[in-house]
Amino acid sequence: MLGDLDFSPLLESWRYLAAGLGVTLALSALTVVSSLLLGSAIGFARVYGPVWISRILTFYIDSMRAIPVLVVLVWMYFAFPLVAGISLPPFWAAWAALTMHVAAYVAEILRAGINSIRPGQTRAAQALGMSGAQVVSKVVFPQAVIRMLPALGSIVSVTIKDTAIAATIAVPEYMERSQTLAGQSFRPVEVFTTAMIVYFIILFPATRAVDMLYRRVAHLGRS
Amino acid sequence: MTFDWGIIWHYRAALADGVAMTVLLAVATMLIAIPGGIVLALMRLSPLRPVSAASACFVEFFRNIPLILLVYWAYYVMPVAIGIEFSAFTTGLAALSLNVSAYNAETFRAGIVSIRRGQGEAALALGMSQWQVMRQVVLPQAVRRVLPVLASTWVSLFKDTSLVSVIGVSELAYVSLQIRSQTFRILEMLTAMAAIYWLLGYPQAKLVDWIHRRYGVSE
Repeated sequence: MLGDLDFSPLLESWRYLAAGLGVTLALSALTVVSSLLLGSAIGFARVYGPVWISRILTFYIDSMRAIPVLVVLVWMYFAFPLVAGISLPPFWAAWAALTMHVAAYVAEILRAGINSIRPGQTRAAQALGMSGAQVVSKVVFPQAVIRMLPALGSIVSVTIKDTAIAATIAVPEYMERSQTLAGQSFRPVEVFTTAMIVYFIILFPATRAVDMLYRRVAHLGRS
Repeated sequence: MTFDWGIIWHYRAALADGVAMTVLLAVATMLIAIPGGIVLALMRLSPLRPVSAASACFVEFFRNIPLILLVYWAYYVMPVAIGIEFSAFTTGLAALSLNVSAYNAETFRAGIVSIRRGQGEAALALGMSQWQVMRQVVLPQAVRRVLPVLASTWVSLFKDTSLVSVIGVSELAYVSLQIRSQTFRILEMLTAMAAIYWLLGYPQAKLVDWIHRRYGVSE
């Protein structure tokens, strides 16, 4: 049965797929940047903010850890317009939903990184007369950020994988284009197998790079 | 625009079935993926290069592709490759198991490797057999390091079961989306779906935090 494979539909539609891959990469890049910004803001506010803000943000983070990203995507695309009265195009709905989701994970990584620096260091820095901002920017954060690097690096591959779920709200990224092509060409075996290889070729170097980075810098984060 | 929240109560039986299917899928996947992960981890640590390489390839491959693609691939390619038609449930279970086994393999491997070599050597010097060393010295300690990570994987898995809705497994996401398209109660059903996942997932996320605090090994 696997003998009569025909990859010609893929060759004929390579531009169509390549455009999809472009959308995947663009959506991933935008999401990573916005999640890092939003996630850092949430993480810092949670650790250093007043108690009531910290409680609200903890609730937000834990809720995002509890709800599947598919559900956030579908809600953002189909239900949000009914509440807000404005509808977002699929790409931007996916961007907003993925950012909300991934930022929660970034915030959690940031908190874990900051909390991993022993409190004695903060007290020592304060005893030396440093201000709160100085303690964070000169003592805690430089060490925390190194410890956070591997986890933050893995956010990149998590995000690329999550963008594939945006196919369910018709974002024309690589997964969605593969589905369309599979349906039109009646060649799902060839199309989806190729898609697996394409995603692997993108994701594998990303995970390897994170591992390498970790081995290179891990000793810098020791205290 | 008027909303009719009664629709959720009206479809409570269908939604409850969806929840049951979600839980069943997650439990069944874990029951396959824990032994699967242990076998893969032991293969990875094997001194035989081909065995170790086969396990490494399996783990790296399934960790580096989107799960939703794996679900589609299992749905379209598995029947052609093996020549047997599977039900949507079996297909979804297979895709989830492949994915989670790969993650568990890494978890178990890291757990076993984290126990210092000297301990195994000391136990061997005391006259224990290889098997006794593994069972009485390494594994009891490794479990402590593995448990928190397994708990996190469980929470991810619980959410990831929603992805098998794309091939028509009637779990919570699929059921909710079906009711939505039949009744056009979009906001109500999608919000209900999110709320039910939240009700199920939030306590789990909190429990995982507790397990990390209780069993987590810090420096």
